[in-house]
This record gives sequence, C-alpha cells and structure tokens, in this order.
Amino acid sequence: MVATFLSYWSGRPARHIDGWSVTAVVICLFILGPILALWMMAFGDSQGLWGHLVSTVLPRYVLNTVLLMVGVGVLTTLFGVSTAWVITRYSFVGKRIFEWLLLLPAAIPAYIIAYTYTDFLEYAGPVQSLLRDMFGWQRPMDYWFPDIRSLGGAVLVMSTVLYPYIYMVTRIAFRLTPASLFEIALVHDRSQFWSVGLPLARPAITAGLALVLMEVVSDFGTVEYFAVETITLGIFNVWLGMNNIVAAAQISLFGFVFILSLLALELYARSRQRFAGNGKSATELQPLQIGAKGQIGCQAVCALPLLLGFVIPVGVLLKFVLGNPIANQLDQVIDTVGATMLMAGVAASLIVFVSTLLVLAATYRGGIMVRRLTVAASSGYAIPGTMLAIGVLVFAGVVDRTYAGMVGDPRATLLLGGVGILLTAYLVRFQAVGYGALMSGIRRLPDNMMNASRVLGNGFGSSLKRVILPLLRGSMLAGGLLCFVDIMKELPITLLLRPFDFETLATYTYQFAKDEMLEVAALPALMIVVAGLVPVILMNNMLRRAG
Amino acid sequence: MYFALPKAAARVALNRCRTVILAGFAALFVVGGPVAASAAEINIYSHRQQFLLQPFLDAFTAETGIRTRVVYAAKGLAQRLLAEGEASPADVILTVDISRLSEYADLDLLAPVNSPVLEANVPAHLRASDNRWFAFSTRARLVATSVDRVAEDAIADIEDLGKPEWKGRICSRKGSHVYNRSLMASIIAANGAEAAEAWASDMVANFARKPQGNDRAQAKAIFQGQCDVAIMNHYYYGNMLYGDQAEQKDWANAIRLVFTNQDGRGTHVNISGGGMARHSPNPDGARRFLEFLTTPVAQQLYGEVNFEYPVNPNVAPGGVLSSWGDFRRDDLAIERLAELAPDAQMIIDRVGW
Repeated sequence: MVATFLSYWSGRPARHIDGWSVTAVVICLFILGPILALWMMAFGDSQGLWGHLVSTVLPRYVLNTVLLMVGVGVLTTLFGVSTAWVITRYSFVGKRIFEWLLLLPAAIPAYIIAYTYTDFLEYAGPVQSLLRDMFGWQRPMDYWFPDIRSLGGAVLVMSTVLYPYIYMVTRIAFRLTPASLFEIALVHDRSQFWSVGLPLARPAITAGLALVLMEVVSDFGTVEYFAVETITLGIFNVWLGMNNIVAAAQISLFGFVFILSLLALELYARSRQRFAGNGKSATELQPLQIGAKGQIGCQAVCALPLLLGFVIPVGVLLKFVLGNPIANQLDQVIDTVGATMLMAGVAASLIVFVSTLLVLAATYRGGIMVRRLTVAASSGYAIPGTMLAIGVLVFAGVVDRTYAGMVGDPRATLLLGGVGILLTAYLVRFQAVGYGALMSGIRRLPDNMMNASRVLGNGFGSSLKRVILPLLRGSMLAGGLLCFVDIMKELPITLLLRPFDFETLATYTYQFAKDEMLEVAALPALMIVVAGLVPVILMNNMLRRAG
Repeated sequence: MYFALPKAAARVALNRCRTVILAGFAALFVVGGPVAASAAEINIYSHRQQFLLQPFLDAFTAETGIRTRVVYAAKGLAQRLLAEGEASPADVILTVDISRLSEYADLDLLAPVNSPVLEANVPAHLRASDNRWFAFSTRARLVATSVDRVAEDAIADIEDLGKPEWKGRICSRKGSHVYNRSLMASIIAANGAEAAEAWASDMVANFARKPQGNDRAQAKAIFQGQCDVAIMNHYYYGNMLYGDQAEQKDWANAIRLVFTNQDGRGTHVNISGGGMARHSPNPDGARRFLEFLTTPVAQQLYGEVNFEYPVNPNVAPGGVLSSWGDFRRDDLAIERLAELAPDAQMIIDRVGW
C-alpha cells in the first residue's frame, strides 16, 4: 500500500486553491505534527553518546535488525504468496474454510504469540517433555534443542502473525490477473506462477511486505521478550538507561529513514515497469481442478502457517484458560472487551473518514503538493509506538498550551488527558493502513468516472456522493476493518496515552504478561483473538468479492 | 475493479455503523474526557502494575473516603507529565526504581512535600534531601543458587559471580533492565568503575545462556537445570512459593536465596517510591496518600501483597517475610544509584550483559 501510494508522488501542480485542498493540508499538518516533534527532539544535544553507541552496541543493533527484517521478509513472503496462490488458483477440499482461517493470525498480537511459543517450546513445555520421554533424556545437557528466545525464534513468531498482510493483498492481485494471461502461459508450456502470477503480483507483494517490515522495525514486545537486540530495543536502553531521550529520538528516526529508503529503492527498481490492467478481465479466472495428491499438497501449504500462527498459540492460551479459575476475572474482562471494541471502532472510523477525505482531495482536487503531503502523512507506521506516543505528547502539549492561552485557563486541555490524544495517536500511526486501502480502491476506478458524472450535469460534491463514494464503500470497509484489528491489539501507545482507569484488552493483558503471569494474561489475550474474528471474517467476504 | 459488496448489504452495514460510531464518539467523550479535579479524588501515575496497587488504593479509600484513579505505564510517564505541564491532572507519581524517581526529580516534575509524618516514617537515606521523593518499600537484589547443585556457603558476595568456577553456570535477565543497572551502579559505588567493569566482564563470561526473561524465569532455569546460579529480586521467591501456581512452587523449592555481602557492605537494595506531582490539582489529597503509604497498615501490605520490606523502622515486615529473618542492607544513599546509572549502562553495553 505504501508502495502504491508512494508511486503517487509525482503529478501536475494545482491550478487553484479550493476548500478540499485546504482541508487536506490542514489535516496532513495535524498528522505530521507529532512526527515533526520527534524530529525537533532529535536535533537536541545527545551529549556525545553516539561515539559510545557506535563503538559498542549500534553495529549489533543494526545487524540484528537487518537479519530480522530479511528473515521475516522471506518467511512472510513464502507463507503469504504460497497460500494466496493455492487459494486463488486451485480447487481443493477445505479451500473455502482455509481461505478465511488463513487471516486469523492477523488478530493475534506478536508479543502474545511470543509468550505462548516460549511456553510451548521451552524445557518444561510439551514438545521437549515429549522428546525426553521418547528418548529417555534426563537433563538439558543430554540433547540439543533450538532456543526459541533467539533471532530465529523472533523471525518465526513474527512471521506467523504478519504473513496475512501479504496474503491479503497478493490474493487480490492473483484474482485480478486476467485469466487470458494464465492461458497464454499454459499454451507456451511455461509456469503459470513464475512467468505470470508472481511478476504481475509484485507491486501487491511489495505493498504487503512494506507493512510487514515496518511492523518488524517498530516491534518492541517480541524482541524484548526474546532478548534480540534490535534498533528499537536500543532506543529504550538509551532513553531509559542513560536518560537520553534525544539520542533515542535520533535512533528511531535513523530506523525510520532506513525503512523509507528501502521502499524508495524498490520503487526505483520497478519505476520503468508498468503494471497496467485494462479493468475487468473478460473471462472469470477458474480455479484448476487437481488430483488427490495435489489437493493434499494445497492443504499442507495452507495448514502450515495456520498451525504455526493460530492453532498452537491459541491452544496454549486455551490450556491456561481452562486450567485456571477465571470467574473472578470474568467481569473485568467483559467490561474491557466493550471498552476495547468501542475505542477501536471509533478510532477506525475516524481513520477511514480522514483517509477518504485525503484520498479524494489528492485524486480529484489538489495538485502535487497535496498528494505529497497526504503520502507523507502516512509515514507514522514506521516509528516505534512508544516513540511516536512521545511525539504525540509533545505535539499535544503545544496544541493544548495554545488553547489554554486562548481561553485564559492554564488547566484547560483539548487533547491531553482525554481520549482526544489517544485518537490523535492512532490516527498518526494507522493512517498508512486506512490510506493504503482507500488509495488502492480509488486507483481501481476508471479515470474518467468523475468526468463522466460531471458531464452529465452533476456537481463535484454530488458526483462524489452518487458515483465515487458508493464505489469506494468496499475499500472503506476494508481499511476500517484492518485498522480495527490493528488498534485492538495496539499496546505501547494505548498504555502511555490512555485516560485514567481506562483499559483495553491489550493493556489489561500486558500488566500480567509483563511479569510472565501467562495464566492470568491468557483470558484477555484470548479475547483479543475472539474479538478479532468478526472483522477477519468480514474482511474475507470482501476479499472473495474483490474484482 | 473495486470491492463490490452487494449494495444493499453494504448500505445497511454502513448505516448501522454510522449510528454506532456516533454513539461511540459521544460515549467516549463522556467517560474519557478530561475531568476536572475534585477534592475527594486523587489521580495517580504509576509504574507499578494496577493489580499490585489495588489493595493499597482500596485501603486508602476505605480510610479517608478519597477516591483514586490510575494510569499505569511502564515507560514514558515522565514525558507525559512534561507535555501536560501546568494542565496535568496527576497528583501522585509512583515508581519502582530509584533511577526512575530521580528522572522525575531531574525534570523538575515533583513538588517538595513537607510532612512530619513522612519525615518520621521514612529514614533519611531513603528519601530525597529536598523531600521531593520518598521510598515506601525496599527490595533486595540477591543471588539464588540451586539447592541440589551448589553448596550452601559457595557464594557469599555478589563479587563471587566473577570467579571462574561459575563458568557456564550463571543466569540473568538482561543487564539493561533497571534492576541490573542499579545493581551495577551499587558495585561501581563500592569498588570503583574499573573493578566493577572487570567483574561484570568476568560474570558475563560465566553466563550459561544469553541474558533473557525476568527474574522468575531465572528461578525456572535453575529448576530446569540450565544453570545453577542466578541474580534475582527477593520478592519473586515469595511470589512463586506462595502464589497459586503449583508449578512455580517447584521452581522456588529448587533455589535458595543468598543475601550477599553480609560481612561487608550488605546486600544491594532498591526501592519502590513516589512523590507529589509538581502541578498537583489536589496537593492535600496527594500528601495524605503519600503519608498513608508509610503507615503501619500500608507498610504491612507491601509485605503481604508483594513480599517487599517496609521502610518504616517501626513496622515489622508483613506476611511471611518476618519469618525470613533480617539481613544487612547496603546503606549507600539511594540517590547515588541514580547518579551512577548512566555509567552503569555504559559498562553493561561494553561487556554485553
């Protein structure tokens, strides 16, 4: 998605200024405020800490981060593309179920899956106990077993919950590839996958991969638990260990620039390729019928990521929930479910509303500057949550002090202390998700749709209302659902910015999970998954109809 | 090509959503909006998890009738206070480590509290010289050894962990965790930076595995035979032994606690503490809460809830703690730990703890 709209960078300058452009610019500046605040902070004095960092830990941080990105990138692409391919291209028993089951891991926060895997694979866990029983080993020294708390472990658990980002977009791309192209490959006896499917899906795969990699760079929970020293972990050591928030801001922007450069590189690499489609394919793509062996193969391809990303972690959570008294916890968990869904629903709607407005303004009204601003306003996704939250705090402080000065009451606040600041932070962080969905939606509309409506005598507003918006409904819902799931499991921002006595399932889970009290954390963690089911199923229905 | 939901279904869904969303916005602003401070209420920013704090809040409200509201977060609360400035609703700040407390003091986010009660109940080396923060409980950071594989008197001092005989036998959580950073700071204070770094480097060479997990996980590793010696905070032992997880009782039974440096400076202790927010809207309520935390009822609660030692010299440790016996504490002025924390972190980075 990011990649799709980064290619939106160039265009013609606007000829005139109108209300849409002005609104879009104001909103973009609001969203960019917190990111800008972080940049300002980074220009402070870091007290010569870089020398120490470069000579001690920074090379390790960077190396680990790169290895983690490569590992997760490869594995999520493998999982995401292979599943998307067999689901769109073949017909096999269980396909209809796998189709939506494969989305489920998206509802599980990566840090939760890290806890469950540790429980599953550690010395006292079921896997090693079984191995010891089978082979008669007595002590850890008797055999070798890979350590889950390692770089490899982090690659595995992050990949199993992040591949749905790639699966989702790639599935649409495969589906929208004209059937005739696959037929040409068949006629020439070339591989349908390697010579047609994969090359044409590359922009979609990159878009999904971009989201995955941004999640990887900004993840804190998993790498902390697995003690993998990435740049993000380094940020916190510098900030909390050396009381140096300036250097922390600098490191996080270093990561931010790093990831955006990667994206730019990919865009440049394919800048001279064209991926034009001519709209609806003439013939519906028919899945291929295959024999029993092939069917088993397809089922295995789908079952593996599902087993790793859903069955095992949910199984571990269920074991804890069923093995512990939960009655005294139940009331609070149910209250928390309500608060979480309310918050996620409201924030997701806000993001969709803003994204729609920006996309419409950028497409039909504003010139190149408006477009660039709307793209820049989606970059909050690549900054670690806590650092972004601090940027939001600084920004909100400025806004609120201005407001307090205006009303003449030093205690007056607009954003701070209420839900306003939380909604602002969600908007800054997840704007990329909503904007990406809307942008890919609007780019699928024929260019002359708006012009046709105008020629028929409708004004701009009325054309939007009667033609464009109804056609964007699907994309709005898709973006909204993705944001909903993301916000529901969001932890660091919610933890720091929430109002008094406000818990979401993620923060409620965290206070126990932090002390590795998985037995108490299991029920709320499971509720995150359960609450994520409905949006995931809705999302699948839309994917199925896409095109 | 676009997402073509059947139109009717989409319209119904969107209409429903619209109503729910509008209601949602309204509800959120009613429950979550900035609320004016009331005299019968105090607002707490806490680094201590809510479920550990709740018994204290309940007891305080029962005694005074003052209600409490809490935001718990592990990091960033100082930045939140800073951004809120004069408009901050926070009355009280609670933390679990001296480094964090002094961060608040350094950023000038705490107000001095002049209270005879606090001065009487908290010994001088456990509060700020300018009365801007106070300790409420102490926790010892000590060594746990395997009951089966390590002799009872094999380790006496924390410095022993650097000896070559422990090669491949020590487990620890990451060095950059605030507990280890403060421990490192105490060793710098006692032995000087150079000796401290040499010790840390030797100890890291003795590790059985890459530093990971929390203190509880180290006890588990001893139980599982991955290592024989670990560094941990004393209260984890109580939590495991008397908690409701049968499995963790086994971990606790596999270890014994060694109160280190008993013939010298004493065991390194850290504190949980707090202070009044600089712009507290309800300073009177804040002071009463801080005082309450040093009264016998609350001081006992620290032992009962989380096996922590009281700071009030006139109160015996609560719960089973009193049966553990007393020990010599390192009485280094607790502020030194915070001052030395950046140096400690640098050493930790260099030795790769």
